[in-house]
Amino acid sequence: MDNALYVGLSRQMTLRRELDIVANNIANADTTGFKVESLMVETEPMAPAHTAGAPRPVKFVIDRSVGRDFGQGGLRSTGATFDLGLDGNGFFKVAAPGGEEYTRDGGFRLDDTGRLTNQQGLPVLDEGGGQIVIEPEDGPVSIAQDGTISQGEELLGKIAVVRFDNLTVLEKVGDNRYRNTSNQQPVAAPEVVMHQGMLEGSNVKPISEITRMIEVTRAYESMAKMMDSNAELSRRSIERMGKLN
Amino acid sequence: MQALRTAATGMAAQQLNVEVISNNIANMNTVGFKKQRAEFQDLLYQTIERAGAQSSDQGTVVPTGVQVGGGVKAGSVYRITHQGTLNATGAKLDMAISGRGYFQVLMPTGETAYTRAGNFSPNDQGQLVTEDGYLVQPAVTIPEDATDIVISKSGQVQAIRPGQTEPEVIGAIELATFINEGGLDAIGDNLLLESAASGAPTIGTPGTDGIGGINQGYTEASNVDAVTEISALIVAQRAYEMNSKVITSADEMLRTASNLRS
Repeated sequence: MDNALYVGLSRQMTLRRELDIVANNIANADTTGFKVESLMVETEPMAPAHTAGAPRPVKFVIDRSVGRDFGQGGLRSTGATFDLGLDGNGFFKVAAPGGEEYTRDGGFRLDDTGRLTNQQGLPVLDEGGGQIVIEPEDGPVSIAQDGTISQGEELLGKIAVVRFDNLTVLEKVGDNRYRNTSNQQPVAAPEVVMHQGMLEGSNVKPISEITRMIEVTRAYESMAKMMDSNAELSRRSIERMGKLN
Repeated sequence: MQALRTAATGMAAQQLNVEVISNNIANMNTVGFKKQRAEFQDLLYQTIERAGAQSSDQGTVVPTGVQVGGGVKAGSVYRITHQGTLNATGAKLDMAISGRGYFQVLMPTGETAYTRAGNFSPNDQGQLVTEDGYLVQPAVTIPEDATDIVISKSGQVQAIRPGQTEPEVIGAIELATFINEGGLDAIGDNLLLESAASGAPTIGTPGTDGIGGINQGYTEASNVDAVTEISALIVAQRAYEMNSKVITSADEMLRTASNLRS
């Protein structure tokens, strides 16, 4: 008889998590290469909340997964030599302590030995999986749309850009990086265009996030109302039925 | 509720962003100032396991396990070391570097600091010093009776003295370059110090080996672009506002929960 209460609770739990995700999207609206996420909910298949043979099955709701929209973020011009924006479905490769990791954040720089690294100082990898070393005194560095780095006449290498055919294997590790959780190897992505002096913004759309936030708050409220009136109903029925005359 | 903390990280990050932008705007007319940029990164993700989560691929939207992020942090404040425009001042001892390199300055502590601000002047002993009176390295002493000073592109300082037809070489300016200029530590007064991130300085003659040349009678303006900074300020302020709205929403949800009577 308290089914309505429990179903309402299961919805409220998912709504809370949805607000957490919306909050993370908004907090990262200015994070380079951030990809917007949304919570995907469905009916809980495992535990139907009704007694066997009851005419109307009652189903709980569960948050099944997080959908990540890998759509392109806007490219903004920064003018810095080692800022690289990707246009298309690809990732840079960086050498993290636990193996290769992937990022869309092309805010690179040189470390004290002249290696091209990301913000955390992890080396950016070239097509052969090697590090890229630049000597700034040799002149201005130009990076072509396919990732070829050159200084004047001299070719220094080619920054690797890879693509995953199945993006579900990627897991976020923070610091704008992704980890590959499967054996599927990424493939080279020559169709992705690299823009020097630009950075990719996040693809968070503020309006839709705010709208979603309002929806979440209101849905949470109406669930609470429903639970409240359900409780009121049982209180009244106890009162009525408990009367002796 | 995680959303409250997440939004708080967002507000803190935007606050830092506004601080960096306002410092850029405040230093718009500072000689040799290089603008800075705050860079953000997402925080650690909490992964909540869901059986069979990795099942399908629907275009660009890809379902994975439930990963809830913890917000944002400021990764670093990066100095953008573009060339600033050169302003003619006409002053004989004003120098601007066009290209890479830093003037070397001897600090009272004995350390060497580096600067792009070349608005130098002589002190009471005729030595070339910065606005704060710190000696420029290598030291150059201007003769008392010099009628004119000529500084070449390659940093050679020559004085013309009365009664002499040939200018006399009185010193040479050398510049320091770094592999990672963005990694230098700013200590205020337009001065920068070497750090572990910048690498060791390489000293060289201006105009050679990729080092910039010296322009006498010019100072380098800051590389701050007012329009870019103001639009960044607007974006930062709106982002701050949106994060505060998230806090209001989370608060409202908590209130709804605590108002449940039974």
